[in-house]
Amino acid sequence: MLGRGIGAGFVIDGNRIMTNAHVVSNSRYLTVERDGDPNKYPAKVLFVAHDCDLALITVDSPNFYKNMLALKFGGIPELESTVSAYGYPIGGERMSVTTGIVSRIDFQLYTHSSIDQHLAIQISAQINPGNSGGPVMQNTKVVGVAFQGYSGDVAQGVAYMVPTPVINRFLKDVSKGRYDGYVDLGITYGKLQNPAQRKFLGLKDDGRGVLVETVVAAGPCAKILRPGDVLLAIDNHPIASDGNVELEGERVEMPEVVERKFKRDSVKFEIWRDKQSTSGSVQLETVPPYLMQSHKYDVRPRYVVYGGLLFQPLSLDLLEAYQPTDLRLRHFFDFYVIDQIYLEHPDVIVLTNVLPDPINTYLAPYRGGIVDSINGKKIHTLEELSQTLAEPADRLVIDLIGDGPPLVLDPKQVEAARERIRQRYNVVREQNLQEQPAAKTPDLQTKT
Amino acid sequence: MRSLFISVVFALVVTAGAAVKKEAASPPPNKDVKQKPLSLVRVNVTGQPYDYFRPWQKKAPVSKRALGAVLSKGRVLVTADLVTNQNYVELERAESGEKTAANVQVIDYEANLALIEPSEKNFLDGIAPLDIAADTVVGDRLAAWQLEPTGALVATEGLVTTIQMTHYPVDVGQFLTYRISIPMQYRENSYTIPLVKNNKLAGLLLRYDPRSQLIDAIPAPIITHFLKEAEGENYRGFPAVGFSFFPTRDPQLRKFAGQTGKPGGVYVTNVEPNMPAKKAGMRVGDIIMSIGNHEIDQNGNYVDPLYGKIDFTNLISAHSYAGDVLSFQIQREGKPIEVKVTLEHRDAKDYVSPPYALDEAPKYLVLGGLIFQELSRQYLKEWGPNWQREAPQRFVYLDRFQSELFPGEHRRIVILSQVLPANNTIGYDEFSYLTVLKVNGQEIKSLNDLAAAVKQPIEGGFIKIETEEDPKQIELDAGTIAAEAPALQENYGIPSLQRLE
Repeated sequence: MLGRGIGAGFVIDGNRIMTNAHVVSNSRYLTVERDGDPNKYPAKVLFVAHDCDLALITVDSPNFYKNMLALKFGGIPELESTVSAYGYPIGGERMSVTTGIVSRIDFQLYTHSSIDQHLAIQISAQINPGNSGGPVMQNTKVVGVAFQGYSGDVAQGVAYMVPTPVINRFLKDVSKGRYDGYVDLGITYGKLQNPAQRKFLGLKDDGRGVLVETVVAAGPCAKILRPGDVLLAIDNHPIASDGNVELEGERVEMPEVVERKFKRDSVKFEIWRDKQSTSGSVQLETVPPYLMQSHKYDVRPRYVVYGGLLFQPLSLDLLEAYQPTDLRLRHFFDFYVIDQIYLEHPDVIVLTNVLPDPINTYLAPYRGGIVDSINGKKIHTLEELSQTLAEPADRLVIDLIGDGPPLVLDPKQVEAARERIRQRYNVVREQNLQEQPAAKTPDLQTKT
Repeated sequence: MRSLFISVVFALVVTAGAAVKKEAASPPPNKDVKQKPLSLVRVNVTGQPYDYFRPWQKKAPVSKRALGAVLSKGRVLVTADLVTNQNYVELERAESGEKTAANVQVIDYEANLALIEPSEKNFLDGIAPLDIAADTVVGDRLAAWQLEPTGALVATEGLVTTIQMTHYPVDVGQFLTYRISIPMQYRENSYTIPLVKNNKLAGLLLRYDPRSQLIDAIPAPIITHFLKEAEGENYRGFPAVGFSFFPTRDPQLRKFAGQTGKPGGVYVTNVEPNMPAKKAGMRVGDIIMSIGNHEIDQNGNYVDPLYGKIDFTNLISAHSYAGDVLSFQIQREGKPIEVKVTLEHRDAKDYVSPPYALDEAPKYLVLGGLIFQELSRQYLKEWGPNWQREAPQRFVYLDRFQSELFPGEHRRIVILSQVLPANNTIGYDEFSYLTVLKVNGQEIKSLNDLAAAVKQPIEGGFIKIETEEDPKQIELDAGTIAAEAPALQENYGIPSLQRLE
């Protein structure tokens, strides 16, 4: 499906243009225009950060940057102070300016990936599609990038901008020529405000500490933390029993400490375990299982077609595309990380569709099933599925999770029908096992 | 794959006020009907269901007005959902308005039928009882009987379009159902509308969709089964076998199962522990070729003398009784064998998450402000018609896949449903819908387990609750819980902190 979209962007140092990731995501052809310049300049993407909805693009033509002043960044604006948002709402040739006041500063879900939460600033300004990626200014400095709002029937005149701590982190992350993205502790924790619970854990009544509840096995903290531990301090910042730490004079939630860090940075904890104090530090990493629950961009989806059966790993995009009502699929999605389902099913492989053919004409009822095993062999990943299907066998018995019937195929019939199915359904490739970039990777060696 | 399917229960629309004298489609009242008193009585019920969100109390009472079909021996037949959770049932003679209190004698929630009897023995004197017309087939015309406020009969005729197996409101298995296309308008009796054929009772209204003007009715064969069972000492309920199946249309599946000879039968996909099929030796992979003398085709239908091809489960629910021995002709790896299954009724209490719990008070235990309950579908249904989407998703999953997750286990799932803010629950008041695993180190498989475990605090006088979900652990001080219990009861108006029976 082809679509056109427009957004705004602004020039920063190093002949770079900053905009939102969602403006350039899945783009096949990208041009930029200058106010008051009739030309359209082809642009290329330098870096995209889907987890914080920011992107850097550039234009090869030096003319574009002529007489262009790079914008500088400011800090976090005060509550109730006035800011101006620049952009091209609902298209148009001329730039539009709107002002609003800063009404709230807190953690928000970034809807582009729909799983990441970062600091965001709420402003009371009319921001519409086309404002996205545009700068929000105060005293000639950029204090944010407009990026999301609500649809009219939820709340009007409420918009969010990516604040400068998030922007600065992005710029620092890409300064090495690659975007690694946010790192995560891979734990859940809870407040420790109950007097009986504090007494049970042997904690003093000093309002300190949070309880470690779930430790994601694939996360960096699995090496040093376990459920029931109490975190007393992070990087020597005492953690209050409501989960806040004091950072540069501000009370912020504990993950803010990690937000500012980069891949392979380490973080140190003071831990209370079995009524004794101990400490430990971990090297931070991204936690891969979370990606299953986030939107993906600029990659071709993974799949295997076999005998007209389409197998795909469960993901947020898959769930949104098929809108299944199946309770089991929803459960595997919702509890994939928190119940550590990924340990047994790194890929939750779903039989998403059956391309009708005489060899699979009775198999439609199996749609929506999750592959458990093939010919008795447990299947954990799409690669394994592909390999197992390719192994010579007299028959293929695919067991799906649950107490339904097995799905039985005759490999000889499948082979005989292969060309027919390929042609009838225009299957260009029968499988894609790796998440490959959907377009040519941009040249990362830039002059910055 | 027969999956548990939740049927939509159509809202019953009551048209009150000025009643139309005669339905457009109604035939002129039969002369016989005019002369002798109707075989109908009004049934007035005040019901008061339990409130699962405040399990120590009941919801506001609801009054329902319905019709009952008068049967022989002074019994009145109504649907079970009319008299479920009732506080008071009253019969009213249509022609005179004379009233008497009544008692529910037998109730079957699964088949949605109940028998009531007037406390005054002579109350029904002079009313000719209805016989049962068991021979309704597709194409017959049935009349829906309703009463005008004056007591006059309104009969609306409709055509039986389909006879098939469907889910009934409490959703345990499938039962035979008549579907009737009928242009009916509701009178003040919104429940239990009798459907009549030649002055004999052919069915009772199960649900009505006013837009499509389709009635689903509990058919005479199910009513007959219920009445026959009700004659016995102890009402046992409809029989179950305890297996799931799949059609054998797919030649690859038939080949896999090793079927020989002509195609047909259903493939057994699951055999539930402790159920008749398992006890009789049925296995996953068996193909059931016939039951008794009835051959089953590859879609799972047999040929019924009245209805033609219909789902074979009708042979079990409508035609068999608990205690009957049914002969299953099975092909196992190509060899024919016979499996003799002694049917049993599966009680709601025999499930891990009971599919219904009616006319009984929900169990609960309040501990320092934490409310513990046992998971049941009745509890989940408090989220309304869309409970499968709106109730806590882990609970819906546990209920839906209970036989897979807890095969053969006799247990309940204990949940921490809500937290009442109190001194003991400071910092815990945001918790809700948690699955309890252990209390004080002891595994919890029922609310009684929990009640016993909290009596044995761990070292230091603490009660430790472990949950499946975050926060994973909750600790309370046993001493302060006891000390503050009266204040908690007073504050939240809880008459008793627990109900375990």
